[in-house]
Amino acid sequence: MDIIVSGVKKTFAEGLTVAQLLIEEKVESPEYVTVAVNEEFVEGEAKAARILTSGDQVEFLYFMGGGR
Amino acid sequence: MSQTKAAAAASLQPDAELDITDVVCPMTFVKVKAALDDLDEGQILAVRLNDGEPVQNVPRSLKDEGHKVLKLSEAADGTYRLLVRRAPD
Amino acid sequence: MALSDAQLERYSRNVILKEIGVKGQKKLLAGKVLIVGAGGLGAPAAMYLAAAGVGVLGLADADRVDLSNLQRQIIHATPDVGKPKVASARETIQALNPDVEVRTLEGLVQADNVLELVADYDFVIDGTDNFPAKFLINDACVLAGKPFSHAGIIRFKGQTTTWVPGQGACYRCLFVAPPPPDAVPTCRQAGVVGALAGVLGSLQAMEAVKYLTGVGQLLTGRLLTFDALSMDFRTIKVARRPNCAVCGPTPTILRPVDLQPAVCDLKAAKTA
Repeated sequence: MDIIVSGVKKTFAEGLTVAQLLIEEKVESPEYVTVAVNEEFVEGEAKAARILTSGDQVEFLYFMGGGR
Repeated sequence: MSQTKAAAAASLQPDAELDITDVVCPMTFVKVKAALDDLDEGQILAVRLNDGEPVQNVPRSLKDEGHKVLKLSEAADGTYRLLVRRAPD
Repeated sequence: MALSDAQLERYSRNVILKEIGVKGQKKLLAGKVLIVGAGGLGAPAAMYLAAAGVGVLGLADADRVDLSNLQRQIIHATPDVGKPKVASARETIQALNPDVEVRTLEGLVQADNVLELVADYDFVIDGTDNFPAKFLINDACVLAGKPFSHAGIIRFKGQTTTWVPGQGACYRCLFVAPPPPDAVPTCRQAGVVGALAGVLGSLQAMEAVKYLTGVGQLLTGRLLTFDALSMDFRTIKVARRPNCAVCGPTPTILRPVDLQPAVCDLKAAKTA
């Protein structure tokens, strides 16, 4: 199945969860990354429960604290 | 518009006059914009401008912004006189 | 109030633009923008807004100019090292454009002064460098109904979003709460390229200009991310968080709260 990850189409095995995608994509410090699937936030334990389906659009939002 | 020629000519009385022969691009157009901004919709501005770049560019820029160029005529001293009607905002 | 000949010339590139014109320039001259943090983001933002003729620029910063700031904080110069940042920034702005009134706060923006501070302005630019400050500004602006631009930068990456009352997600919708201290690196530890700060600070200034003149589409409901290494700009559509603690229908944050252990320590050390 194809999933759009951060705007890029990628192919994964069926049944992939959001938590597994975070590992597959080697997202650093995933506990501090906001995940949105189709513009809906997926949080905490829901990441392990949420199974992705073909065509889902996944975005990772990262903390960026600098400015000075 | 079904105005007669006479009525049209009568309506070409400018509400304000502006001389931009002492400035160059882009201040030519900037000054015309500022003068039009001081007028109300439908009022007429008369502009004295130089031949060359100002005559080529100022009327075109005014049309691009929706103003109506009513008349452009050469004066005896080699400058041009432009009549423009202010568009609504 | 008509623009003077000198103003028409100074702002000619704005006035020529159909979208801005004389009316838009007058709006800029009547505009008031608060910039919190006169650093990597705040420096370019302040300079572009000063150059554009924003009538009042508020600058809040507690720091003094350090030699290590000059790699990116272009509003300060080598002779300014040691001066309060707000004083150094004021000098640069006044030299750049005497039309601009500069108001300065040499001190920390905190829960007890943030609402009073933002109340005097039309638009706020968050140019701070830490999460507690970014959440504080978000909460204060949401509570006060004050439009603001958020941005964050690190290494070669930056991101920015704009919030306007009733339109789109706030910063807390996106990130809920600050990460624990040191869980996520700041640019002090991680480094940042000066030009990257310039890109993001300029984008924030652009949003302020658009807001004040009413031109174009703001970055509301969208997070713009920029990766300077790949040169990718993306805008990610972001939804409001239905249970957001500050902008949601049943907010639990009803007044700004300091979440600044590190800064409080600093303050304690200063007053000790």
